[in-house]
Amino acid sequence: MKRKRIGALALTAVLVLSSLTGCSKANDAGSNSTSTSESQATSDSKEESAGEVTKDNITITMMYSGTAAENDFETEILPKLVKEEFPNITLEVTKLPDDQYYTALKTKLASGECPDMILVQPKYAGANSVIGLAKAGYLEPLTGLKAIELAGVAGRESFVYENDVYAVPSGVTMLGTYYNKNIFEENGLSVPTNWDEFLNVCKTLKDAGIQPIVMGDKDMYVMQFGLYQIAANQVYAKNASFDDQLRSGETKFTDEGTWDKVLEMYKSLYDNGYIQTSSLGLGAQQAIQKFVDGEAAMTFDGSFNAAAITAKGAVEFERGYFPLPGNDAGTDLYAAMAMGAGPAIYSGSKYIEECKAILEKWFDGESDIYKAYADSGRFVVTYGYGADKVNPLFQPFIDLYNDGKSFYWCNQGWPAGTETEMEALFSEAIGGQGTSVSDIVNGMQMKFQELYTE
Amino acid sequence: MEKKKNNKKNISLVFPNRMYLFAVPALLLFCVFWVFPVLQLFYYSITNFNGINYQYDFVGFKNYITLFREGTMTNSIKNTLIYAVIIVIGSNLLGLCVAMVLNIKIRGKAFFRTCAYVPALFSAIVVGFIWSYVYMPDSGLIASFLTLIGLDGSKFNLLGNYKTALYGIAAVEIWKSFGTTMIIYLAGLQTVDESLLEAGRIDGCNEWQLIKKVKLPLISSTITINVILNVIAGLKAFDYSFIMTNGGPGKSTNTLMFTIYKIAFTDQMMGKASAFSVVSFIVIILITIFMLIFMNKREVEL
Repeated sequence: MKRKRIGALALTAVLVLSSLTGCSKANDAGSNSTSTSESQATSDSKEESAGEVTKDNITITMMYSGTAAENDFETEILPKLVKEEFPNITLEVTKLPDDQYYTALKTKLASGECPDMILVQPKYAGANSVIGLAKAGYLEPLTGLKAIELAGVAGRESFVYENDVYAVPSGVTMLGTYYNKNIFEENGLSVPTNWDEFLNVCKTLKDAGIQPIVMGDKDMYVMQFGLYQIAANQVYAKNASFDDQLRSGETKFTDEGTWDKVLEMYKSLYDNGYIQTSSLGLGAQQAIQKFVDGEAAMTFDGSFNAAAITAKGAVEFERGYFPLPGNDAGTDLYAAMAMGAGPAIYSGSKYIEECKAILEKWFDGESDIYKAYADSGRFVVTYGYGADKVNPLFQPFIDLYNDGKSFYWCNQGWPAGTETEMEALFSEAIGGQGTSVSDIVNGMQMKFQELYTE
Repeated sequence: MEKKKNNKKNISLVFPNRMYLFAVPALLLFCVFWVFPVLQLFYYSITNFNGINYQYDFVGFKNYITLFREGTMTNSIKNTLIYAVIIVIGSNLLGLCVAMVLNIKIRGKAFFRTCAYVPALFSAIVVGFIWSYVYMPDSGLIASFLTLIGLDGSKFNLLGNYKTALYGIAAVEIWKSFGTTMIIYLAGLQTVDESLLEAGRIDGCNEWQLIKKVKLPLISSTITINVILNVIAGLKAFDYSFIMTNGGPGKSTNTLMFTIYKIAFTDQMMGKASAFSVVSFIVIILITIFMLIFMNKREVEL
C-alpha cells in the first residue's frame, strides 16, 4: 500500500517535472530558431555574392495548401519541369487541404523540420501570413530576385515585412460582381460605373420582379466580397495607407466617412431588398446555384469561383463580370484585387540558393515552368507569357490593375479574426438584432486592438 | 537477513511487483500524448501564444478577463446548455417512445427498428450537408412543402434566424442520435421481466400505470446512461454549428467547442483559446459532478 502511494507520488513528480522542462524547452526552441535565423541572415549576405548552386544530387521539399487536382501543377507538372531544368535536383511536393496545411506547417516549424519551400499568404492573411512567419524569423528574404522585380509594386507590397520581400507574388485574384447579361439586356441595363447607377440597376430589376442580387450569407465570409469592393473605393482610394495607420493608431475603424460609410452602403442593399431577405439561411454554394439557375441577376464573388459560376445551370445565359462600383459619381472606380498566396523559402533550409534558383526559373515570365504555370489558369498572371490571354471576364479588372487602380483585400491588412468579427456583427445588423453600423465599427476596432499586439 | 525476508514478503504469485514495468510503455504514451498536453494547456492559457511565434509573453489572467468582458464566454455557455438540454430531452423522449412502440409485437418490427437507427449510421458531415438543403430558404424541402400546402414557404428561414438557428441544428442532432438512444432503451425494456408486468395487469394496472410504476423504475439505470451520453454529446456540440451554420447567424450558434476552434484557428490566439478550454473544462467537470450525484441519488430512490 505504502509502496503504491510512493509510486504515485513519484509519478506525479515526474509529470510535473516533465511539464516544466517541456515549457522551458519550448522557450529554448523559440530563442534557438531566432538565433539561427539571424545567423542565416548574416551568412546570407556573404553567400549572395557567391550564389553557387550545388552540382550534387539533392532533394528539395515543398509544401503547399489546396487539393491536388488531376494533372496538378504543383504536385505533378512542377517537379517534372524542375527535373528538366536542374537534373540534379529532385523536388518533392506535398499538398494538404488548408486546415491540415496550417497544422502541419505549425508543427514542422516548431520542430525545425520545415520543408525548404512553403506557401505563404500576403500580409496578415491566415495562419501562414508572410508577416507572421517573417516576424518569427522563419522566412528567407528574397529581395533582389528578378522574379520579385517582375511582379510589380502591388505584388511586392503584399509580401513585404520591414523592407524585405519574403515571397514571390504569384498572380492576382479579384473580387467582383458576376451578372446575367441576358437579364441586363432584357431590361435595357448596362454595366454601372458608380454607386448611384448601381442602385438604379438594382431598383429597375426589383421593379421588374427580378431578384437583383443573391448572396449566401450563411457562410459569412461571402460578406467580404461586397464589402471589400466598396471599401476599395470609399476607404483606400482616399487613404491608401489606412491599414498601416490603423496599426499606428492614426486611423480607426470608427473614423467618420470610412468604414461606417462602407457598411452603411452595403447594408442599404439589404434594407431595400436588393439582396434577398433569406440570405442568412442560404449557403455560399446554394447562392451560386441560384445565380447559375437564373434566379437572380447578380452575385458578388471572386475570380477563384469562376468555374462554379460559369457552370451550366437550369437556364442558359451569358455571364459578365464587373467591379462593384462603390465610387461616388464623378470619381474614379477602384477594384478589389489581391495577390494570391506565393512560395517562400524556409530560413532554416540547407538549400537556400537552389530554392532561389528554382523560384527564379519558375517566375521568369518565359520558361517552360512559367508557361505551364500560366496555363494552369488558377491565377491571372500579370507579366510575361500568358498575360495577353486573360479570360475576357477579367479584362476590366486587369485594366484597372495596370492603371494602379486596385487595392488588396482588406482582411490581408488586418490580423486574422478582425474580419470574422465584422461578419458576425454585420449579420446581426441585417438579421434584425438591433446592431447599428456604429456598433459594428466599434466591435471591429475593439477586436483589432485585441488581436494586434506589437 | 532482514532484507531477504522483506523481499520474500513482497513476491506475489498472482501479480509480482516487477509486472508493473509492463505498464510503463502505456503510461508513457498516455503521459506524452495526453497528460502533458493537458498540463501545457494550463500553461499556455496565461500567455499570448499565437501558435507560430514562440517568443510569446506572459499576460497573466488577461485572457480570462477578456473572455468574460466581451461576453464570448457567457454566450457560448448559454448556447451549449440550451443545446444540451434540448438534446437530452428530445433524444430521450423520442428514443423512449419509439423503443416502447417497437418493443410490442407488431409486423415488420425489425424493419422499423432498422429504419429508426439508420440516421445514426451517417457521418455528421453528410447529415449536416443534407439537412442544410432541407432547411434551405425558398427552395429547400421544408420550404417547398410549405408552399405546396398553400403556406408562404419563402418566409421559412430557420437557420437564417437568430431565434431559431440553435433549435434548428439541435433538431438535426436529435434526428441523428435518437436511434442510438432507442437501441439502448430497447435493450433495457427487454430486461423487464414479463411476469412482473403480468402481476401488474392482474392487480388492475392500465397501460400507463404499467409504464410509470413498473417499466420506468426497472429501466432507471438505462435512463441514467442515456441521459449521461446525451449530456456529453450536448456539451461536445461542434459538428452542426461548424457544418450547417458556421456559428452564425452572428454568434447565435457558437457553442463552447466551436468557439474554442474559432479562437484558436481563425483568430490565431492559442493562448486565449487555451484559457477558454480551461474554463470549459471547469464548466463540464461541474456539470458532470452534478449529474452523477443527482442521477445516483435518483436511481437509489426508485
